[in-house]
Amino acid sequence: MTVGATVGILFTPTVWKALDDVSIWTQNWPWIPRLKYGENKAVATVSKMCESGCAVKVRTVAGEAFGTMGNTENPISGGGVCPLCANGVQVKNSPNRIKSPMLKGEAVTWDKAKEIVAEKLAAAGSKVAVISGDQTGTINEVFSALLASKGSDAFYAMPCDMQSACKAWNGLMGGSGQVGYDMKGADVVLLAGADALESWGPTVANMKAFADNEGGKFIFAGPFQTKTASVTSKWVPVPAEGMAAFTLGICYYVLQAGKSVPAADFDQFKAMVMSGYTPAKVEAATGVKADAMAEVAKQLLTAKSPVVVPGGSVGAHAAAFALNLLLGGGMKVLPEFAKAVGSAMSRAEMMKNDILQGVNADLLFVYEANPAYVLADQVKAGFTVAFDCVNTETTAAADLVLPIPHSYERVDDLASPYGLPQATYTMGAPVCKASLDVMNAGDFVLGLADLGFESFQEVIDAKVSAIGADADSLVEGNAFVLDETPDVSGVTLAASVLGKAASPVKGTGAVAVAPYTLLNVGTANQATTPNAPCTISNNQLVGDKLVVMMNGTTAKKLGVSVGSKVKLSGGSGECQALVQLFEGVMDGVVAAPLGMGHTTGDEFSKGKGDNVYKILTVSSEAATGASTWAGSTVNVAKI
Amino acid sequence: MQVKEFKIKWGMVIDIDKCTGCGACMIGCQVENNIAPMTKKDPYNYVQALTKDRDDPSNKLRTLTWMNIYELSNGQPYPNHETAYLPRPCMQCGSPACVPVCPVVATDKNEEGGIVSQIYPRCIGCRYCMAACPYHARYFNWWDPLWPEGMDKGLSTAVSPRPRGVVEKCNFCHSRYLDAKDKARQEGSDPMNLPDGAYVTACTDICPTKAIHFGDLNNPEHKVYELSRSKHAFRLLEKLGLHPQVYYMSEREWVRKQGDNYNAGGGAHH
Repeated sequence: MTVGATVGILFTPTVWKALDDVSIWTQNWPWIPRLKYGENKAVATVSKMCESGCAVKVRTVAGEAFGTMGNTENPISGGGVCPLCANGVQVKNSPNRIKSPMLKGEAVTWDKAKEIVAEKLAAAGSKVAVISGDQTGTINEVFSALLASKGSDAFYAMPCDMQSACKAWNGLMGGSGQVGYDMKGADVVLLAGADALESWGPTVANMKAFADNEGGKFIFAGPFQTKTASVTSKWVPVPAEGMAAFTLGICYYVLQAGKSVPAADFDQFKAMVMSGYTPAKVEAATGVKADAMAEVAKQLLTAKSPVVVPGGSVGAHAAAFALNLLLGGGMKVLPEFAKAVGSAMSRAEMMKNDILQGVNADLLFVYEANPAYVLADQVKAGFTVAFDCVNTETTAAADLVLPIPHSYERVDDLASPYGLPQATYTMGAPVCKASLDVMNAGDFVLGLADLGFESFQEVIDAKVSAIGADADSLVEGNAFVLDETPDVSGVTLAASVLGKAASPVKGTGAVAVAPYTLLNVGTANQATTPNAPCTISNNQLVGDKLVVMMNGTTAKKLGVSVGSKVKLSGGSGECQALVQLFEGVMDGVVAAPLGMGHTTGDEFSKGKGDNVYKILTVSSEAATGASTWAGSTVNVAKI
Repeated sequence: MQVKEFKIKWGMVIDIDKCTGCGACMIGCQVENNIAPMTKKDPYNYVQALTKDRDDPSNKLRTLTWMNIYELSNGQPYPNHETAYLPRPCMQCGSPACVPVCPVVATDKNEEGGIVSQIYPRCIGCRYCMAACPYHARYFNWWDPLWPEGMDKGLSTAVSPRPRGVVEKCNFCHSRYLDAKDKARQEGSDPMNLPDGAYVTACTDICPTKAIHFGDLNNPEHKVYELSRSKHAFRLLEKLGLHPQVYYMSEREWVRKQGDNYNAGGGAHH
């Protein structure tokens, strides 16, 4: 009988079938979501989660958005998407979305919200200000026209390289239009502080240009071997505060080679550089070897179409623009698109006010920006109205929070993200219906004052016709490109200002801090997205601890090693961090990632690491008067 | 195990000199393959107070990163230091180490195209395959996939979410292969001779520097055919003889040397 049973068990399929079934049953739990099938589509629109914005196609199944892909037809994307916008749908569906208007933490109706804002607006007179986290949208025209109707010019952008470029080009040098860089066509690209392949400017377009630029040589100059530097042919270590001097040091060789420009102050510029920024003097001031500058200058001089792309302070931008003018290469000047709203500010006007010098208003509108996280001390207002689609430090601190649709649920646009070589306009139509009680900020503002439009859609329509683009083509995701160059004949080299501004000024702390942005971690305005945490390396975050990097020599000097817990103090605060050794950081520098240490939001960003903005020091650049974080230093204490 | 050869051999050539390690491929992969964000709490765990939180995403042994990015270093001190980034999907080995160790044939290499399959409902979670894979390309679901409230409505139709207790890995976005073949049939062309670009993975699609090339390594009309034969091309741990279908290329010699554990004198420290 035993034999019979054994043979029976061996040959009956019941046991094996039961095992198979058990394995399937134990995988069918009610909480495991089931997929919904239907027609698959990819709908073109724009995503505004990264600073420049991405041109994307949103993938939908049965009308429900689930993923983001690039838009091969659009020069901003070329098929790629940045890691932030790649997670756009997940942010759209996140429980961190703001569900209805909130007045001091209590839900209110839109009518009530409008009533309150109208009242505050009437009472504030001209003491109204706007902080916008959007660098490219026509929404800024609506906000600036609202300010104009109140007799205010208090429009503030969050600190960005576009602002430094505007202040240098349109301010100091008297240029018009917007500066751009042809990284695809250039044969030598010097990224002078611009982390162009990771976080600077229109990152995805830069990366595409880098990929398409066969044979072009990219050189990165900066205090830290960023991700950009991992693929460039060369990394030239230059401290952030020394970038302008370094660039003028290169100008020295270029001037020596006989290059000139027909600028009114060329002689003054030449005299200033040849006496004040000799390679020996620059080496003494910045620590960058004269040979290194000579080598970079030689490469730029022998190139057919070189381009220098600046990052950092206004002075560093002006120096790079002067160098570009001398070299006559791939720096482009783009015309500004015609305005839709007549009384709106131009882009250069919008970039004029310096938020780091402080904002003080009776009524403050904040649009998709997070000043409470970046600039906790600088912004003060009697009553703050925050427009955003997700909860942030700023919405938590605001008096009135107005939820706006996510990028994929609204009409929006991207007018010439800073850095592109051509004036490029892209429009985005809603891909899906808004599921929450939201309103487009443009619609809300147009309801407050008579700016000549009923809805934000009308503003966008007016913009499209003002610039002469074809709306149908834009809806399909194509970009409208304007190939004109404004007159640059009156541009000066800002010689008198630059001579003083380029002189490096550094804090008194033990080590310099090199803050850096990674798009998978987030930006000043956009926190880490839901799928991003597992992409963040242990070089930035371990558990909930921020990680800062320094080289072995610096670590030895500070008496720390891998895994040491340290306290960094500088600026108006301090950060706790773990030490990681990375030999791609200059001596005496600690590289610290921005974008962590949020105190509001979801678990993907809240309480993760520490906020490096707290330890940055705002200083006023000599002669330009512009605020800069370059030259920030910190003291490091082991804890 | 013998090397399995097929008429079509889907493969990748990843240009390390173009990869900046931005992470877009990792996000694109998670979205395509319904990998849930890593949340600490489980709303279905009614005894949460007695149990530990679910794993933290910075614990890299517990993530579900089918596509993962490694940082390479030339090991030199400042200022001669160089760095590079290496994206690592499943290598879809010609002679996979994971297949023969699977006791339930939940993973196999038997389909035209040479993609190593992973049949989730069949997997019993023994993790032998994870131990066998020298590339750490396989991941175990230590936890159920749970999307924060409302986030499960936008899921990809590429693959069903896998429950806890199951091993998963990159399958070169296999449903995209099926879709491409279906499309070819509908259009009356040969599904066994797809043109270059008709089938590409989500990471290939999203990569902003186009560092990832994807195609049929056996088809001279596909770009990867030539790239994989470039003098700068190499495979990871080639000496193990697993014949990966993922190639890398770099003009930097130190990068190529690290690809084959050529680190007798130091090398990578990460």
